[in-house]
Amino acid sequence: MTVVQTDKTGQGGDEESNQPNEKSGMQSALLFNVERYALPGLLIIVLVFFSLWSKTGHLFFSAADFQEVGFDYVYIGMLALASLLPLVCGEFDFSVGSNAGFTQIVVATAMARFHIPLPFAIMLAIAAGAFIGLGNGNTVARVGVNSLIVTLGTAGVLLGVVEWYTGSQSINNGISGSLINFGSENFIGIPDTVWLLFGVALVAYYVIEHTPYGRYLTSVGSNPRAARLVGLRVDRLKLSAFVLAGALAGLAGVLLVAKNGSATPEAGNVQDTLQALAAAYLGATSIRPGRFNVMGTMLAVYFIAFSVSGLAIAGVQSWISQVFSGAALFIAVVASTVIGRRRAGTG
Amino acid sequence: MASDSTDEPGVGAGSAGAHTGQSLLGEQLVPRPYFALSVWRVSKNFPGTRALDDVSIDVTGGTIHCLLGANGSGKSSLIKILAGVYQADPGGTVTIGADTIDADRTSPEWARSSGLHFVHQDLAIFNGLSVAENLAIGRGFPVNPVTKAVRWRALRRHARAVLDRFDVDVDPRRLVGQLRPAGRTMVAIARALQDQSDASEGVLILDEPTVSLPAVEVDVLFDALKRYAAAGQTIVYVTHRLDEVTRIADRVTVLRDGCVAATLQRAEITKDRLVELIVGRALDHSAASNATLDGEDLVLEVSDLSGGPLRGVSFGLRRGEVLGVAGLVGSGRTSVLTTLFGLQPPSSGMVKLDGKAVSFANIDDAMDAGFGFVPEDRSESAFVTMSLRENLSAAEVSKYWRGGLLRERAEAADARQSIKDFSIKAISDRQPFATLSGGNQQKTIVARWLRRRPKILLLDEPTQGVDVEARAEIYRLIREAVASGTSVIVVTADLEELARVSDRVVVLADGRITGEIRGPDIDPSQLTELVLSAAPDPHDSKLEASQP
Repeated sequence: MTVVQTDKTGQGGDEESNQPNEKSGMQSALLFNVERYALPGLLIIVLVFFSLWSKTGHLFFSAADFQEVGFDYVYIGMLALASLLPLVCGEFDFSVGSNAGFTQIVVATAMARFHIPLPFAIMLAIAAGAFIGLGNGNTVARVGVNSLIVTLGTAGVLLGVVEWYTGSQSINNGISGSLINFGSENFIGIPDTVWLLFGVALVAYYVIEHTPYGRYLTSVGSNPRAARLVGLRVDRLKLSAFVLAGALAGLAGVLLVAKNGSATPEAGNVQDTLQALAAAYLGATSIRPGRFNVMGTMLAVYFIAFSVSGLAIAGVQSWISQVFSGAALFIAVVASTVIGRRRAGTG
Repeated sequence: MASDSTDEPGVGAGSAGAHTGQSLLGEQLVPRPYFALSVWRVSKNFPGTRALDDVSIDVTGGTIHCLLGANGSGKSSLIKILAGVYQADPGGTVTIGADTIDADRTSPEWARSSGLHFVHQDLAIFNGLSVAENLAIGRGFPVNPVTKAVRWRALRRHARAVLDRFDVDVDPRRLVGQLRPAGRTMVAIARALQDQSDASEGVLILDEPTVSLPAVEVDVLFDALKRYAAAGQTIVYVTHRLDEVTRIADRVTVLRDGCVAATLQRAEITKDRLVELIVGRALDHSAASNATLDGEDLVLEVSDLSGGPLRGVSFGLRRGEVLGVAGLVGSGRTSVLTTLFGLQPPSSGMVKLDGKAVSFANIDDAMDAGFGFVPEDRSESAFVTMSLRENLSAAEVSKYWRGGLLRERAEAADARQSIKDFSIKAISDRQPFATLSGGNQQKTIVARWLRRRPKILLLDEPTQGVDVEARAEIYRLIREAVASGTSVIVVTADLEELARVSDRVVVLADGRITGEIRGPDIDPSQLTELVLSAAPDPHDSKLEASQP
C-alpha cells in the first residue's frame, strides 16, 4: 500500500474470512425449515387443540363457527394485505385502519345520501383510499418524512374527520342490499367475502413474488441506496406502494360496511391497524422467513383469528383476545427482528 | 516560534529533571533534554504485517510536531497505541512529561490521566446541541444540588471562560451545527483541553483534522493552532498533506512502512524532501506526460467536467482500456465516477459516448447507455437480506419478465452460470447474501455489472476490505471483461494496486487533472510522487465555497 487516505481499517483487519462452512450450512438449512413451517404448524395445533378440548370441541369445529371466524377476520386480512406493500419496501403505513374507517363512511354516504349505484360507490371508496395513500406516499417518498410519523398523523386526522362528518351517528339506512347480502352469502360453504380476500391475496402474492415490480419493492426495502444504484426510482416505488395500500384499505372499508350492514364511526381505527401489522410481522417469520410475504400474513391472520375464537368459546373473558393479539404482535416483531438480524449476518 | 530549541522550559518545575539518568532499561546515562512526549523503540506486529518497527519520536514541549506518512505507514497504529486502543509489542516505552510507561501497557485511562488529549477526524461533537452543552458533555453539567436541574447560567459562564481561553469567538448558546467548519473543530479542541489548568500541560493530538475543511477554514484553524503552540501547548498533528506540514510544522516525523524515515527541523522542511522521504527514493521530475489521445479509438470523451469538487476535468477513455484515477482524499476522484454515472449532475462540461454527447438525468439512463458503477462502500450496493441470485440479477430483473411471470428458473440458471464464471464460492444461488465472505460479496457486486456487458465500468475502491486471493480474482475478472471490449475507470487509494492494474493513470488534484502516466510498466513510487506533489496549493481556491 502506498498512499494516502485515512486509514479506515487497522492493518491487521483487512481480510474477512467467514467462508461458508458446510456443516453449519446444513444445520442452518434445517433450522431454516423449522422456522419456515412454524406458523402453519402452530395454526394446525390451535385447530386440533380447540376441536379436541372438551370445553370448545362441540362448537369450534362447526361449520357455522368456521364461517363466522373467516368472515370476522376478512376485514383484518384485507388491512394486513394493505399494510404489507409499504412494509415490503421498508416503510410503515399506520393509517390503513383509519383509512378503512373513513372509506366505509365514503361508500355508505355515497349510497345513502347521494344515491350513487353500488359499483360506483365502491369505486369511489377505493379511489378515496388511494388518494389518502397518495398523500402519505408523497410526504414519505418525495419530502422524505419518516413514514411512521406521517401515517400516524394521517390516521389521527381521518378519525377526526369521520367523527365530525357523522356527528358520531351510524349510517344505517340506504345501504345497498346486495352489499349486505354479499357480506352474508356463502359459496361452497365459505363466505363470499373470504373468497374475495383470497382472490386479493392471490393477486398480491403474484405482484410481490412474481413480477419485477415486487422484486423492486423488495430491493428498496432491503437497501434503498443500493436500489438507487441499480437504476430503480426509489421514490416512485415507495409512492406506488402507499397508493396501493390506500386502495386496499378503501376496499377494506367497503368490506366493513358489508360485514356490519352499516357504517359506524367507531369501526375502523388504529386498533385494527395494530392487528393488521401484527399479522404482517408474524407472517414475516414464516414461509419466507425474514421477508414480508402474503402466504405467511394470511396464515398469521387466521392463526390469531382461530386462537381468539377458541378462547372466546372456552369462555375466557374478552380482554384475553386483546392481550393475545398484542402479545402476538410483540412476539412477531421480536422474532422477525432476530431472524432479520441473523440473515443480515450480524447476530 | 522557534522549534528546535530543545531546552525550552516546557512544563512546570520539577519535571524537567525527570528524564535524566535512570531510564527504565537503565541504558541511558546521558541526561536528555525535556520532551513533552517521547515514544521510544515502539514496535507493533499484527498477524502478517509489521505496522510499527522500532519507532522513536521525541516531541518538544510547546511545538507543533507533524506526523506524516502514506496509507499504511503506521501513523494510525501509533496514534491508537497512544490512545490505548492498541497495545504495542513489549519492549518500548512512552513518556509523557515525567511519567514513563511500557508501550505494551497503554490504556485509555492512562492516556487521559497523563494528559493526552485526542481530537479525531470525526470530531464527535453534537451539531444539534449548543456550544456550551457540547463543552459539558462527557465532563458533566453543573447542577443544582437539590433538584439536579442544570444550572444554565453557570454552564454558560464556564463555556464563556473556556472559549475566551481558546480565542474562539462564538456565543456559547449557538448551536454547534451553525458554526463555520473550523469553529466546530476549535470547539472540539477546546472541549478536549478545557480541564488543563495550564497550556503547557499535556499534549493535544490532532488526527487529520482538516480532511473535510475548505481551504479558508484551514487557515482559520492553523492560526489558532499556532497561537496555542505559542502559548506553550504541545501539539502532535497527524496528516498526509504536505502543504500543511510546510505551513505549520515546527518539526515533522515522516513514517514509511512502519519505520521512522526521518525527523526534520523547521528549516529543513521542503515539499520535495518530504516526498522523497515518503516515497523512499530520490525525486525524478521527468515523470508527468500530458499527451492527448486525439485520433485514437475513444469510447468516452470527457471535456471540462465541473460540479461538486470537480473543476474542469478532461480525459479520454479508449475501448478496452483500464484507466486509473489517482488522487488524495478530497481531490474529487470519487466524484468523477458518480458524475459520469448520473448520481450527481455536472454544473458544466461535456461527456461524449462513442462520439455522441450524452447527459444522464437518471441512473437508469446511464445504465441503458452502457455504464456500470461499483461504489466504494459495499453497504451501498449489497442487498444483504436477499439471496445471492437476487443480488446477481438486481441490475437486470426485467430481463426475466416474460409472459406475465418472473422466470425464476431462467434467473437461477443464469445465477449458477455467473457463480461459475466469476468463481464465487457459495453453496447455492439461493444462499442469503449476508452469509457470503467479504471477497465473494464483492465479486458478486462486480459480477452484477459485468453480466450486463457494460461499455464502461466505473469502479471505486473495488478491492476494499477484500482478501488477497479475492483481490487477484476481481482483477482477473476485470481483465477478462476488458479483453471482450469493456472499458474500465478505476479509483483506488492503493497506488501500487492502481499502477499494477491500469493501462494508464491520470492524477487528480483539487478537482483538476494534473498529470498522467502511461503503461506498460507504471512505477508506483513515481505515481506516489506525482500524487503528493500535485497536492493543492491551499491559496489557489477561488472557486471553493467558503461558508461563513
